[in-house]
Amino acid sequence: MVENPYCPVKAEITDIIEETPTIKTFAVKPEKPVSFKTGQFVELTVPGVGEAPFTPSSNPKIEDSMEITIMSVGRVTSRLHEIGKGAVVGVRGPYGTGYPLKDFEGKEVLIVGGGVGLAPLRSLILALLDEAGKYKRIMVKYGARSPEDLVYKDQLKEWAGNKDLDIEITVDKSGEDWKGNVGLITTLLRKDIGVDISNSAAIVCGPPIMMKFATFKLVELGYKDKDLFLSMEKNMSCGIGKCGHCRIGPYYACKDGPVFTYDKIKEYHTIWE
Amino acid sequence: MFAYGISKEYSLYYLRKGKGASPHIVKYSDGLKDPLIGGVRPFEPLKNFFFFARERVIDGLGRPADPKAGGKPLCVLGVKNCDLAGLNILDSVFSEGDFKDPFYVSKREQNLIIAADCTHAIDTCFCHALGHEHFPQKNHDVLISELRDGYLLESVTWKGKKLLNENSDILADSGEKHIEERDHIRSISGAQVEEGIKKSEIPRQTEYKDVIKKSLESEIWEREAENCVECGGCNVACPTCHCFYLADIQKKAGGETRYKIWDSCMYKRFARVAGNANPRQHLWERLRNRFEKKFDYFPEVNGLYACTGCGRCISGCPAKIDIRRVLKDLVAEKKKAKA
Ligand SMILES: Cc1cc2nc3c(=O)[nH]c(=O)nc-3n(C[C@H](O)[C@H](O)[C@H](O)COP(=O)(O)OP(=O)(O)OC[C@H]3O[C@@H](n4cnc5c(N)ncnc54)[C@H](O)[C@@H]3O)c2cc1C
Ligand code: SF4
Ligand code: SF4
Ligand code: FES
Repeated sequence: MVENPYCPVKAEITDIIEETPTIKTFAVKPEKPVSFKTGQFVELTVPGVGEAPFTPSSNPKIEDSMEITIMSVGRVTSRLHEIGKGAVVGVRGPYGTGYPLKDFEGKEVLIVGGGVGLAPLRSLILALLDEAGKYKRIMVKYGARSPEDLVYKDQLKEWAGNKDLDIEITVDKSGEDWKGNVGLITTLLRKDIGVDISNSAAIVCGPPIMMKFATFKLVELGYKDKDLFLSMEKNMSCGIGKCGHCRIGPYYACKDGPVFTYDKIKEYHTIWE
Repeated sequence: MFAYGISKEYSLYYLRKGKGASPHIVKYSDGLKDPLIGGVRPFEPLKNFFFFARERVIDGLGRPADPKAGGKPLCVLGVKNCDLAGLNILDSVFSEGDFKDPFYVSKREQNLIIAADCTHAIDTCFCHALGHEHFPQKNHDVLISELRDGYLLESVTWKGKKLLNENSDILADSGEKHIEERDHIRSISGAQVEEGIKKSEIPRQTEYKDVIKKSLESEIWEREAENCVECGGCNVACPTCHCFYLADIQKKAGGETRYKIWDSCMYKRFARVAGNANPRQHLWERLRNRFEKKFDYFPEVNGLYACTGCGRCISGCPAKIDIRRVLKDLVAEKKKAKA
């Protein structure tokens, strides 16, 4: 008998962390463990309302629960923001291919995140840090609209002191008390970035417009298309290559992605929208 | 007699002559009324029997719905080849890959298809242009050919064989002359398909390679989309259109269910993502997408064009968008660009 791929397992919300006025991180504990590889996503159900795709932001090493960081933008996500600890949701997955960690070994890994796009990247960063010795260097460039819009504020502080990680943060706009960088994420991708680009992989995740300009900038810096790993956000419903919603050229983002190297998708139209 | 036998084991559907050019599929009860065995493809696509317009897939969190629920398996009598060919696409979507759709798979396993030769063609038929015959080629259990006075039956699968064995008392042995008669009828209806192809000037599939890729910015798209009313009728009518969305519904009595419901790529929300961003904001982009999916995506992933030449989207479209005209103009444009 073929298993029913549309059926989520029950899961409990065991904790909720308010990251920003519009972003919360939910600790989700499924009845049966749903283990994932970093970069893979799950479909999260709000019972009776609907589901939406999210990439867990926690360490994939932890198998019996996961954290999911969610920005409230519409029907399903706003309902998620209304629920409390102990609420029951549904999880199905994991889906997609995830980040190819093997390809990053021995390389200088440059991680570029924008806004809530740091969510999947946090899972990646945690996975990389667990085996930091395998990578030549781990660098993170993170941008948000304002200091209040930064997610994982405590973790960012901790990472700033981590010798295995080079992290730089910028905000588009800020008030008086912000001592850090001000400017778009692309301002952190300078010519003198100090990366051996021929031995580097760059991973980008964020809102479409940020993805576009960050990608162009990285290409300008000399990155080869095949060394750019991009997370593509497409409308999804089934998550398993059946419903037809997430097509990019000859691929389905849900099954062939959501992470694609730029050379694979570059020739197709409307990839940035 | 034959139909009654089937109806004991299956929920039987057959074709009945309609007012228009194409017959309708109706449910059997107490005998066949104005049945059509040969004729031409029905108004409704065959996919309706395998991929329901709306189907419950879960009964709550952790509670998968039973794909076998809903009584007897279905049997359709008089299925034509353009619909059988559509199953090549649907099979590749729902029965293959890492995840399979249990609702489709179980219906494909259980349902019985009795397919028939087309004994004539209508204006909109162009199956030959897509390389499909006007008589059953694959995906059926039994083949039935209408002859002048009687029918020629041939079993194709073990299910079909079983059915014919059970009915051996009403069947007689066939001979060479029956086959000859069938082939003669096929040649007449085949000529009608060819005539329609000639009249509409639709090019053959051998000329479709990259037609969409080479015409992404063509004016054809805007011109054709001008009168489209976004009804999605073209998707509903098509034997290969497989897109759906999952909708969760809160039941009045408590508990929630999830339905799998046909979707249309012509609708604006189809590709919309959070924050109202939309890679296919314009209607012409969505129309183009429909062609890309059929003539670009499917050939690239499984070597098949996702059009079987059934012509339903032509007769069903209130805006009179004719896929044959679009393909003709695209091919002409490609040739011109080359010259
Ligand atoms: C692989 C992937 C990973 C992601 N990871 C994250 C993440 O970690 N964190 C995060 O915050 N976001 C993430 N997103 C984005 C997130 O999935 C969207 O923000 C979310 O889907 C928005 O859902 P919504 O219902 O709140 O928004 P809406 O804007 O209400 O709806 C979004 C989509 O649902 C459809 N829809 C809306 N209403 C209906 C309806 N009544 N019936 C049917 N369909 C409807 C719309 O067509 C639209 O496509 C990810 C997206 C993808 C593709
Ligand atoms: S049937 Fe015609 S009018 Fe309706 S969506 Fe399709 S192309 Fe547009
Ligand atoms: S695209 Fe039109 S002609 Fe082709 S199979 Fe679908 S409905 Fe039939
Ligand atoms: S989400 Fe259904 S095909 Fe990708």
